[in-house]
Amino acid sequence: MDEHEFTAALRRAGLTIPEERREIMRDAVTRFQELLKVLDDPLAYEDEPAALPRYDAGAKR
Amino acid sequence: MSAGPLPTLAEAGRKIAAGELSPVALTEAALARAEALQPKLDAFIEITGERARAAARRAEREIAGGRRRGPLHGIPYSLKDIYDAAGLRTTAHSRLLLDNIATADAATTARLEAAGMILVGKLATHEFATGGPAFDLPFPPARNPWNTAHFTGGSSSGSGAAVAAGIVSLAMGSDTGGSIRLPAAYCGTVGLKPTYGRVSRRGVAPLCYSLDTTGPLTWTVEDCALAMQELAGHDPLDPGSADLPVPDYRAALRDGIKGLRIGYCRAFNRDGDVGTEQMAALDQAAQLLAKLGAEVAEVALPPNAQFQACARTISHSESFAIHAADLQKRPELYARVTRERLMLGAFVTARQYVQAQRLRRILTRKVDALFETCDVLLTAVIPGPAPVLEETDDGPWRRQQPLASVFNVTGHPAMAQPCGFAANGLPLSAQLVGRAFDEATVLRVGRAYEQEAGWTGKRPTLATLGS
Repeated sequence: MDEHEFTAALRRAGLTIPEERREIMRDAVTRFQELLKVLDDPLAYEDEPAALPRYDAGAKR
Repeated sequence: MSAGPLPTLAEAGRKIAAGELSPVALTEAALARAEALQPKLDAFIEITGERARAAARRAEREIAGGRRRGPLHGIPYSLKDIYDAAGLRTTAHSRLLLDNIATADAATTARLEAAGMILVGKLATHEFATGGPAFDLPFPPARNPWNTAHFTGGSSSGSGAAVAAGIVSLAMGSDTGGSIRLPAAYCGTVGLKPTYGRVSRRGVAPLCYSLDTTGPLTWTVEDCALAMQELAGHDPLDPGSADLPVPDYRAALRDGIKGLRIGYCRAFNRDGDVGTEQMAALDQAAQLLAKLGAEVAEVALPPNAQFQACARTISHSESFAIHAADLQKRPELYARVTRERLMLGAFVTARQYVQAQRLRRILTRKVDALFETCDVLLTAVIPGPAPVLEETDDGPWRRQQPLASVFNVTGHPAMAQPCGFAANGLPLSAQLVGRAFDEATVLRVGRAYEQEAGWTGKRPTLATLGS
């Protein structure tokens, strides 16, 4: 993740990071995003999310 | 009572029923052991001596009066300090909650109290059940009773230490990505992550709503079954709770495993960089299960990278949503490692979160499909024995991809139990996984293995503990 994107994301989230930890955190975010590339693989329309809302709390499964 | 480890739940229950063991003496033994080992293990955040003694006297009176509530009546237990117990502090091992007094019991606490169990203390955890062992918090991290220079695993770190050291025979943990099973594995205990929805989460500090589970750490599989009998069941006030019948877990232990089909996920070990000692121990466990009459065949799980993308996207997003306001307003109150790991959730997009939940359903279906030809899966849960505590990864990004969170993604019940020892004397562990809501078969296989393998006979010694 480039420096501008990293700074913008932090500002949007309202977070501050000490200067001495900034590069370590940016590296961590880059590695995290690398892992998440698998989420770019195409999925079928019918593949719905696992965490759909349930309005039947306690109902039998 | 001897000064040694507390008896198992099963043994203590039998002796109390026979009038051979007093709940007061048993509780005094637990408290004495907790106090004596605290300087070495830092397992507890609070030891609740006065409360425990009062509860023990009450239990003793009830039992003497013919009002024994069940097999756990009069036996001590402990709670990871994210569980509420009315009148006690729930700190989540954090500076943010130092003054947080619980006004009601967690649903699980209430069940154990109703069973007549005796709370002897609140246990160390990783801050808010995440982060890692940290030295910049108001309480030190717990130490591994097998070797106090080594990591307990986490986040239910005090729970693993307290059970392994024989302070209590039941400690409650929570598991969002392995936090029951990892300390169980590194400390050589049994730890069961029940199916998502099987045990209530109400009154337990949340980390990630759609992955959090609560469950027991015990010394034996039989004790795990006894604990689950009290813990499992529907809670209409927990939105994730399932209304399903609870079987007789202990009865299932007697059935043996002849003819059960066990899928050994051997190739998955490569995905988790499993070391040669741990790999050999798993191979031997598979052979022993076959010797006991199970049909063991190798099966393949989907790639760990897919599970990790799901687990990390979902857990970081949800935990960031929970902690965002505090991370913005008072970030200095968190340990550095907690703060940085929680902040990673700020970088997940809405699209990634939805895609992770879609992939989660696909992966769950794939694991479900394995259970068409298997009754239980056998996999690694740790890559090898516990690392040295001071060398534990404390960066914002964990270097090693965990093996345990696979079954948080899919929700299946998964149990860690000892399967040998490394050359350095530290425990190794196997993971047994069952169909959704079929903890009974997991316990059945685990008990058969445990009785034949005999690992529970070896305890950390006081000499190892440095006294």
